[in-house]
Amino acid sequence: MTIRPATVALTLFFAATIVFFSVSAPRFATATNFENLMSGFSFVAILAMGQAFPILVRGIDLSIGAIVGLVGMVVFDLSLIFHIPGYLILPSALIVGALAGALNGALIVFLRLQPFIATLATLAAYRGLTYTISGRQLVSGLMTTPVKDRWIVGIENYFDVGGWLGIGKLFPLPWFPLSFFLMLALFAVLQTLLLTTRLGRDLYTVGGNQEAARLAGINTRRVVIFAYAVSGVCAAITALIMVARFTTATEALGNGMELTAIAAAVIGGVSLAGGAGTLFGPIIGAFLLGAVLLGLTLQGVPQFVQQIITGGILLAAVGYDRLLLLRRRRRLATDVTVAA
Amino acid sequence: MTGVPLIRGIGLTKVYGNLVALQDADFAVMAGEVRALIGSNGAGKSTLIKVLTGAIAPTSGRIEIGGVAAPLGDPREMIRRGVACIYQHSNLAPAMSVLDNIFLGRQPTHRFGFVDARRQRREAMDLLARHEIDLDLSATVANLPTVKQKEVEILKALALDARVILMDEPTGWLAASEVAKLHATIRALKSRGVGIVYISHVLDEIFAVCGTMTIMRDARVIAESAVADTDRSRVVHLMVGEKLARESEQAAHHKRQPRGTGEVRLKADKLTRRGVFRDVSFELCAGEILCLTGLIGSRRTELVRTLFGADRFDDGTLEIGGQPAEFRSPRGAMAGGIGFVPEDRHRDGLMLDMTMTENLAMATLNRFVRGLFLSRTAMVAAAKHAIASLSIQPPHGNRTVKLLSGGNQQKVLLGKWLNRTPRILVLDEPTVGIDVGAKAEIYAILRRERERGAAILVVSSDLEEVTTIADRIGVMVSGRLVAIHDADAVGMHQLVREIGGAEQ
Repeated sequence: MTIRPATVALTLFFAATIVFFSVSAPRFATATNFENLMSGFSFVAILAMGQAFPILVRGIDLSIGAIVGLVGMVVFDLSLIFHIPGYLILPSALIVGALAGALNGALIVFLRLQPFIATLATLAAYRGLTYTISGRQLVSGLMTTPVKDRWIVGIENYFDVGGWLGIGKLFPLPWFPLSFFLMLALFAVLQTLLLTTRLGRDLYTVGGNQEAARLAGINTRRVVIFAYAVSGVCAAITALIMVARFTTATEALGNGMELTAIAAAVIGGVSLAGGAGTLFGPIIGAFLLGAVLLGLTLQGVPQFVQQIITGGILLAAVGYDRLLLLRRRRRLATDVTVAA
Repeated sequence: MTGVPLIRGIGLTKVYGNLVALQDADFAVMAGEVRALIGSNGAGKSTLIKVLTGAIAPTSGRIEIGGVAAPLGDPREMIRRGVACIYQHSNLAPAMSVLDNIFLGRQPTHRFGFVDARRQRREAMDLLARHEIDLDLSATVANLPTVKQKEVEILKALALDARVILMDEPTGWLAASEVAKLHATIRALKSRGVGIVYISHVLDEIFAVCGTMTIMRDARVIAESAVADTDRSRVVHLMVGEKLARESEQAAHHKRQPRGTGEVRLKADKLTRRGVFRDVSFELCAGEILCLTGLIGSRRTELVRTLFGADRFDDGTLEIGGQPAEFRSPRGAMAGGIGFVPEDRHRDGLMLDMTMTENLAMATLNRFVRGLFLSRTAMVAAAKHAIASLSIQPPHGNRTVKLLSGGNQQKVLLGKWLNRTPRILVLDEPTVGIDVGAKAEIYAILRRERERGAAILVVSSDLEEVTTIADRIGVMVSGRLVAIHDADAVGMHQLVREIGGAEQ
């Protein structure tokens, strides 16, 4: 697959943002700050990659924040109430995420609900379920008990890459969080799936032209359900990272994160019209949002102004997406006249 | 040609609500046969094709492939059994490469579902070479010109190595040289024993490439014959039917008023909307009915939308009543005295959940304003008058519109605009999906408006309708108005030829 000019432009914009804040914001260009950026936004990048799948098939998943909360609480319960060993909790968490996502997909394809409506409903339902199963409420005393299982808390780990490479003395590198490497591994797996497997190609086909996909004999329902399941699994991985960091889960875990993830995916060039985009973009999108937020904070810009600026970036990205679409239509229309 | 048909449909029927799109159709294609499927718009050809490819399931009837019953409404199974189709409308994934589109949904794979990219490219190169088609496999489909996209579509069907290929107007966007190339491909496929179904409105193509033909009219298969045993006039006669021949004779007795009173109400000069229609020039006079006809996609609807201000034009001039006009919105066009009855009455025309009275008053609400409020009584009175003069059944103004029959819904829509006594009335497919009786009533209403002195522009693909009501007939082909005739001076054959894009 060729590298799209839009991806290059985004990457350059990201680089320019880093340079801008490095020059203008105090303490931005420090190892600690980049460590914060990586630990604070690797899981956002994971969520954005997951979100790219529903958007790719011309849908959207509003429920991922609620799935983060649900999976977080499942992990909390399994570990603290049932004392299940961590190596069993990890796969269970992923399965819960996958099922929650697949249910979204099933609602959309079988009940023919609008993705926006279906996932808005499950957003409420999953959050409600989280409160219902909350071990913090059900068992007294658990509210202050930390999760200690080393399979889980081990996820929150940092590596002195600079030290290993022997350049830490010359040039202070940040310590890299495990979540950053998880994000890279997930990127490798999912991007390979998209670009080199039949299922990946089918995802693009269904998003690009669902009727054409159906008439080409593609099982479009299965493809759509799969897309939402991937989104759910990514939310589950995010939940594990967050529980490991906080050593606990709350009912509100992940609240509102869907908006950041959708913003990152769209900024990353995953077209809301479906059928176009790669996973590199959402990652850059997530870290771009992160860099802007950290940079503005270091510059002393108030939080609410930061939100306005984030919204502005999102609008610009969506506007650019529309512009590309209109230009494409215009060009097609012109060809018709030439042919006529 | 004897033996078992490659594909055979028996008693195929498809019903949508009140509309019978396909009725009890029998259809078969033998190995090495190129069968033309012809009929006017709405005759059921595309429905038959869609049933055969599994894109839709028939309401009743069955399909056999090689003598064995095939599952219905399952495109995957039909492809697996060797039935491929080139659809009339694009069925490509625009953001993907040409290569991916050719193998849509069936890329060759290694184990674990990894796409075998090398084999895919090699097979595609083979195909390109074998059919002498020149395409950049890595190009993104959305960036290709329409003609090239059509070639991708054709290649996609050929790549299936199918035993039956259905082609629904495959030459729609192709240039003459490319049509010839496609016909060469068809002959090569035929010699390999592939069965081909070929839909086209261009009779020349059918006589050039097809061996047999099936003719459809009014959702039924009405005739089958060998191409060699028939001639053009007979085919046209079968296509349009006895009734139309009779009707058009009768219609000849109606007083035609080409150019009406001679007062030009609307004048378009070299009107152009880039990429849609080009250099359209005509005059519409008071007291005449001008019909614009042409194939689906000939941009008639787009043209009248522009006249009404729903879309803008890029070039040329438009004069209404002698004054230059460029309406920026339907509101402006209405103020200029234009009424517009759109094609899809459910989507664009009526508020289905509201009552007849409310719908009838919708375009003229200002008249019912009394102080701050709308006068319910005045609305009801006006509606009563309209219902009586249009003889809408049942004559109850408080009836919800969606409960009415199609013909009566159309009368409500018409009545909504007639309330404004428009100087220019534009109607897009005014009688689609309504029965014969209601059609006649609507024609009578249009004639009455004509006598009143309105200038009427009707867009219609229904030749029966066109020859019945038109004073003048304009033919559109691919965004151009290629001819305007006085209705009395033009024969059915010439119309059919011109609509199909034959040279003058």
